[in-house]
Amino acid sequence: MPKIVVDPITRIEGHLRIEAIIEGGKIADAWSSGTMWRGIENIVKGRDPREVWLFVSRICGV
Amino acid sequence: MGTKDTIYEGLFNYGITRRDFMKFCTTMSATLALSSTSIPKIAEALQQKKKPYAVWLHFQECTGDTESLLRATKPSIAQIVLDIISLEYHETIMAGSGHSAEKALHDVVKNQKGKYFALVEGSIPTKDGGIYCVIAGKTAVEIAKEVCGNALVTINVGSCSCWGGIGSAKPNPTGATGTASVVPGIKYINLPGCPANAENITATIVHYLTFGTLPALDRYNRPLFAYGKRIHDNCERRPHFDAGQFVRKWGDEGHRLGWCLYEMGCKGPMAYQNCPTVKWNDGISYPIQSGHPCFACASNDSWDVFGPIYNRAPHVPGASYQATADKIGAAVVAGTAAAVATHAVIRTFLGYKQKERFSKEKNEADKMK
Repeated sequence: MPKIVVDPITRIEGHLRIEAIIEGGKIADAWSSGTMWRGIENIVKGRDPREVWLFVSRICGV
Repeated sequence: MGTKDTIYEGLFNYGITRRDFMKFCTTMSATLALSSTSIPKIAEALQQKKKPYAVWLHFQECTGDTESLLRATKPSIAQIVLDIISLEYHETIMAGSGHSAEKALHDVVKNQKGKYFALVEGSIPTKDGGIYCVIAGKTAVEIAKEVCGNALVTINVGSCSCWGGIGSAKPNPTGATGTASVVPGIKYINLPGCPANAENITATIVHYLTFGTLPALDRYNRPLFAYGKRIHDNCERRPHFDAGQFVRKWGDEGHRLGWCLYEMGCKGPMAYQNCPTVKWNDGISYPIQSGHPCFACASNDSWDVFGPIYNRAPHVPGASYQATADKIGAAVVAGTAAAVATHAVIRTFLGYKQKERFSKEKNEADKMK
């Protein structure tokens, strides 16, 4: 079973990896993975709620 | 170093007129805080130099710095930036994906070794073997060592690649840090900010192309032309700070009148950047101008050292009169109280005089009866 890996996927924000299994010229199965993590959910824990928007708005700057 | 075309030829082919080009050189000279005599030098350098190769790496980032660069328009800086350098690799805007993208990057590293600019956006995770940022099967640490280690100079765009930025805020779950601590010994410049200002990015590159060196740097490797002064020094609300006129509550009269945001948590007195002069979105505005406090995004560990963002900073270092805002505020209150008291005295006195006059007039009138 041939496998296609496209990493990095460009023209998007963030880091994405696509893996696909090809069977008879068709995609039989596929996986996508976000390959970057900062843990902003953990960073905002216990902070002043008024400033959390400034953190979470930086999850994506686009 | 560089491609076949000179920068000027590239710009000309792009439809940039000579007039626009000279305007751009003037803007760059002003941003770099150089005298007007350097304008022809910049113009000459950009006309003769070949476009240098550049790669733009994304690690733990939000693409905000890329957005900052692409949204700039004065005068068509996005076009100019993309044309003064030959940007061979940039994940957000390049056509190729996967293997072809990786090939473009490795071709530059191999063929232009020691001659290309490496612009880095995003922090680099070091915890757990660096698995929190992996591109094409390689960790950010491995990529940074290979790409930044072989570059002419590394330009850290935005606070994340300078020292970790938001990713390194407590408890720093991924061990995020800046490029220079992962690849020690490299030649680098920090352009922090969240995001970095496009004009400062362009001006840094133009400076390198014109003079062959990085601009003068401070102890955090930030260029002095952009980070030499505090936000406070050029803030248009500064007269209100000096006069003790502070916003005390969101939407109060002072807020509507554009008074100083220091009491609302503004870190302008501790933050070094040229926001008040260069501004954002084609020079339209910047946070303080739009009524929000500065949170020192271009300072190291701004999220933890300068936070919580809406808490008032304890005191203002380096103020010429060495007084805290509270003291100034208290002085103003005392002054006002004194004025009110004086006013009351005058009123009472006038009242007395008035009564006296009335009684005199009454006596006169009585006499005439």
